[in-house]
Amino acid sequence: MDTKELGRSVDGFEECSLSGDCDLYSAPAFASEMIARLERGQRKLRFILRDLRYLDSTGVGAIIRILQTARRLGGEIRFRGLGGSPRKVLEMSNIISIMIVEDGERAAK
Amino acid sequence: MRHLIVRKLIVDDRNELFDAQGMRYVEFPSDYARIREYAVAILEDCPSVFHEGNLLEQQLSEIIKNGIKHGNRSDPSKRLRLWYDLRKRVRVIVEDEGEGFRDLDVWNDFYTRRQTALFNEDFDAFLDLASYRGPSSGPEDGGNSLIAALEYWNGGMIYNAKRNKVGVVRWFAGGSD
Repeated sequence: MDTKELGRSVDGFEECSLSGDCDLYSAPAFASEMIARLERGQRKLRFILRDLRYLDSTGVGAIIRILQTARRLGGEIRFRGLGGSPRKVLEMSNIISIMIVEDGERAAK
Repeated sequence: MRHLIVRKLIVDDRNELFDAQGMRYVEFPSDYARIREYAVAILEDCPSVFHEGNLLEQQLSEIIKNGIKHGNRSDPSKRLRLWYDLRKRVRVIVEDEGEGFRDLDVWNDFYTRRQTALFNEDFDAFLDLASYRGPSSGPEDGGNSLIAALEYWNGGMIYNAKRNKVGVVRWFAGGSD
């Protein structure tokens, strides 16, 4: 999986685009990196998932750990561009019910 | 009126999902680094209508991972045995050489609490219960593969009495081409 920093949006969220496969091999490092960012004080993160091709249970677990950390620290995580099988996996595991999922192209930078 | 329905993992040694007659057979060494490769190889000639993007590959990878990681503890001397049938629906049996899923009943209790929190819209409690943490869970385990699996394998997900073998089936509207 590749992560690309997109900078800060007008609404104050640090944006990061994820592409490729968030799976049992790549997800642990992704979770650690994002949890470290939250703990360093970047409390508002937005993940752009438009190019995310594959998400497995370890990837879902990474999202859960990030959401749990954000709640503990008073942060906020938002998701944009979620579709395809990653959306389906998040629906099947019910995790989408606790995610803030925004419509694709709505907010301007 | 809303009703809460919670599915459960079931143990049934004599279930028809364990009838491997006519199914193709393959076995793999317990190589954690090759889990996704194994799933892709099995699905090489799978009818396209069953793939649903990469959802089938993902769910097949999960049950292979559970056998290799939690069953065989990634011990390279232990094999993962797998039977599969991709005609008309997807049916798979996976057997590892481990001690079996001892915590199956504990997991069912956990899942009931989790789904009850979701049903009651107690999202704080739900987030606490989002991932299952058992004695063999590592910090990097997602802890939710069985939750999605219960949803995905819509024709059943059954364990044998030793709980080291699982049979699953997914039916598709319209079947294969």
